[in-house]
Amino acid sequence: MAQSKKGRLNYRCPNCFKRDIDMDMFFDEAKNEYYCLRCCFVGDEATVLAMNEDIKKKYKRMASRVVSFGEDDGPIVYKPHRKGER
Amino acid sequence: MDRFYVNIIHRPELSPEYAEKVTQQGKKNDISSAELIGESLDVFKTQQRLAHENGLKTTIQMTYASMFNDEAIEEAKKDHEKYGDEIGLSLLGLPCKQFREKYKTKDFCIWMFSKEDKKSIVDDVFSLFKEKFGFYPHSTSSYFLDAFTINYIKEKYPSVVTAVAACWEEGPKAYHTCNNSWYTFLDGGPWAPWIPSKKNSHCPASSKEDDSGIVAIPHLSRDLLACYDGNGSNFGTHPQNVVRGMIYDEDGELPYLYNLIDQYRHLGKYNNGFSYNMMFVGPGWMNKAGRWEAPYSLLYKSYDDAMKYYGELKKEGKLIDLTMEELSTIYREAHPDYQTPERALWKDILYGSNKEIFWYADPYLRACLDFNQGGAMIDLRPYVARLDYPVGIGTDHPYDASYPYLIQANYRAGYFTHYAGAGTLKSARISYGKEVVDLALERTMAKIEVSEKGDTVVKIDPVTLSYSDGEVKLASTITFEKGTGKVYFRREILENPSNLELNVEEYFVGGFGTTEYQADMRGIKMSVENDMEKKVIPFEYRCREIRLDKALCVKATIPQVSTVVEIGGENDYGEFEEGHAFSPSYRLSLFKKLRKGVSETWLNLKKAD
Repeated sequence: MAQSKKGRLNYRCPNCFKRDIDMDMFFDEAKNEYYCLRCCFVGDEATVLAMNEDIKKKYKRMASRVVSFGEDDGPIVYKPHRKGER
Repeated sequence: MDRFYVNIIHRPELSPEYAEKVTQQGKKNDISSAELIGESLDVFKTQQRLAHENGLKTTIQMTYASMFNDEAIEEAKKDHEKYGDEIGLSLLGLPCKQFREKYKTKDFCIWMFSKEDKKSIVDDVFSLFKEKFGFYPHSTSSYFLDAFTINYIKEKYPSVVTAVAACWEEGPKAYHTCNNSWYTFLDGGPWAPWIPSKKNSHCPASSKEDDSGIVAIPHLSRDLLACYDGNGSNFGTHPQNVVRGMIYDEDGELPYLYNLIDQYRHLGKYNNGFSYNMMFVGPGWMNKAGRWEAPYSLLYKSYDDAMKYYGELKKEGKLIDLTMEELSTIYREAHPDYQTPERALWKDILYGSNKEIFWYADPYLRACLDFNQGGAMIDLRPYVARLDYPVGIGTDHPYDASYPYLIQANYRAGYFTHYAGAGTLKSARISYGKEVVDLALERTMAKIEVSEKGDTVVKIDPVTLSYSDGEVKLASTITFEKGTGKVYFRREILENPSNLELNVEEYFVGGFGTTEYQADMRGIKMSVENDMEKKVIPFEYRCREIRLDKALCVKATIPQVSTVVEIGGENDYGEFEEGHAFSPSYRLSLFKKLRKGVSETWLNLKKAD
C-alpha cells in the first residue's frame, strides 16, 4: 500500500482537538478515511465535519454579541449576532 | 477620558519558520523558493491593503529575510510615505538562506541563542536595516525578548523605544496543543503594555534605575480567561487564531473577536481610561492553501472583518491607531510613576458562564483572583524577586523563559485534588466544629475600586456559608497596596443569627516552577515566629506541622526563586505544614476564632537574600 498523504484540506483530528491538541490527520486513499497518528480516530470527511460542529457546542456564546459588560459584579448583556454586523 | 489605543503590526516574513515542514504533497518545503517568497509577500501586501482601506496605519516589522528582497523594501518605503506607517525591525523571521549559511543553525528564536550569538545576530540584523533604510529602527519584536537581549539592543541601538516582548501565557499549554513540539515557554508576564525591568523582562520596572528604556507590548491581546485554561493560540486578537479555535459559524462570522476587542476597550474603566489592543499576524496564517480545515476565503474574511471593525471604531472616535514608536510616548505619559498597576476585571465571553476573574500586575507581583472560587488567588508570580534568569543556549534555561509561579491553580491542582494533598491556592476555610467550608467553593462576583492613595480594592460580593446549626453571611475584601507588593485580606461576618463560633483559617498553599511538575523542594525553609520564639525547619517532605500562638508571621523562604512568602495579621495561632512527595507543596496558615466582626491578615512577598 502506498504511503499516506494529507487530504484536500488539512483536517485536524477532532478527538485530539477536543482535548486541546492540534494534530494533523493523514488520509488513507485505499480506505477513503482520515486517521490520527496519535489517537485511534478514523473517519471520512463527513464524520470529521460533524464532530467539528459538535465541538463548537462548548462555545455557548459563539453567536452572541456583547451589548454591555454591565456592572462589575453583574452579568454581561448580549444580543444575537446578525450576519454582516460588527 | 477613555482612550483605546491600537497597534496593527505586519511583517513581511518571507520564509516563515512554520513553512519548513513536509508539505501536503509529501515534499520538503524549500524556504528559499521563489513561490513561497512570492506568496508570503502577497499576504503581507494584502494585510497592508486591508488596514489602509479602513483608514488604519500600521507598523511594518521588517524581517531579516525581507531585507534581502528589494520588492519588500520598496513596499515598506512606499507605505511609510503614503500612510505614515512606521518601519521597524523584527527579530522574528530570521530563517532564510543567508541566515542559515551564516549561522549554521535551524534555531530561529532570538532568546534561545547563546549570548554571543544574540549580540552577533542583533548587530547583523540592525546593520542590514541601517544599510537598507538609512536609519536605525524605533521598534523591534519577537515572541519573547529576554532582559539580556533588550539591554544589549538598548545599549547599542538606543533609538529603539518599543518592542513586542512576550506572548501572554504561552507556555506548557501551547506546548501541549502543538503535540509537545512548540517550545515557547513564556508564561508569567503582563497582558498589557509595560516597561520591562532591566533585570527580568517579565517584571514591570519599579524605578527609573530599573527601567530598560523600552515599552514592551504583548504579542496579541489575549482572552484573559479562555487562555488561562485553554490553548492561548485560539483566543486572541489574531483573527486566524479565532478560526483555529473554530469559533465561527457556518457563515464565517466571528462575533467573539469583536467581543474580545470590546472587553479590552472596557478595561479602560480599571486603568484610568487607558486601554490597548494589538494585532500581529504573520503571513503564514493567511496561506493561500488554507490553514487546517479553514480555506483561504475564511482566513481572508476574518482579517478583513477585523480591520473593518477597528476602522469603524476609529471613525466613531472610539479608537486611536498608533505606530509602535508613538505608543512609547503615549504609554509613558499615562504611566509616569512606575507604580501604577495594571488591572483587569475579566468576564467569560465565550462559554456562557458568569465566571469572572481579576488580574493585577505591578512591579512586585502578578496575581489572579477567581470569583467563581470565592475570590481565591489562583495565580501568583513574585516579581519582587526580579529573578536573574538567563535564557538561551549556554544557560540553565535553553528554552524555558517563563517567570516562575508560587501559585498556579491549573498547573498545580488548586482547590481540587484527587487524593489527600493540597494544590496551590490562596483562600480561606471557615469551620464550625467539624464542618468546614472553603471559600473556594463559593461562587460569587466582585467590584473593583481604587482608594485615594491608589490601592486597588477588590470588594467581593457576600457569600452564605451553610452549617447544620445555621447560616453565616460573610464578605471578603482584598486590597493590593500600591507600591509595596503587600496584599490585605479582610473577612467580615455580616450575619450570624445562630451565633456560631467559627474558626477562620487563612491559608496559602504554594509551590514554585514554570510547568505542571514540581522540582525538588529541598532548600526551602519554613518558619513561624511570635514574640517569644521562632521555629524553623528545612523542607524534607516529612509532613511536619508546627504551630505557635499569636504568630507574628508564618513564612517560606524559597531560594530556587529567590523569594520569601509570608503571611501575618490577626490570629490565635499560626501554623505551617510541610508537604510530602505525593503532595509537594508548602502550606502557611493563620487561625482565628470569630462569632462576629472581622479577620484581617496580609500576604507579603520579598526578595530572598
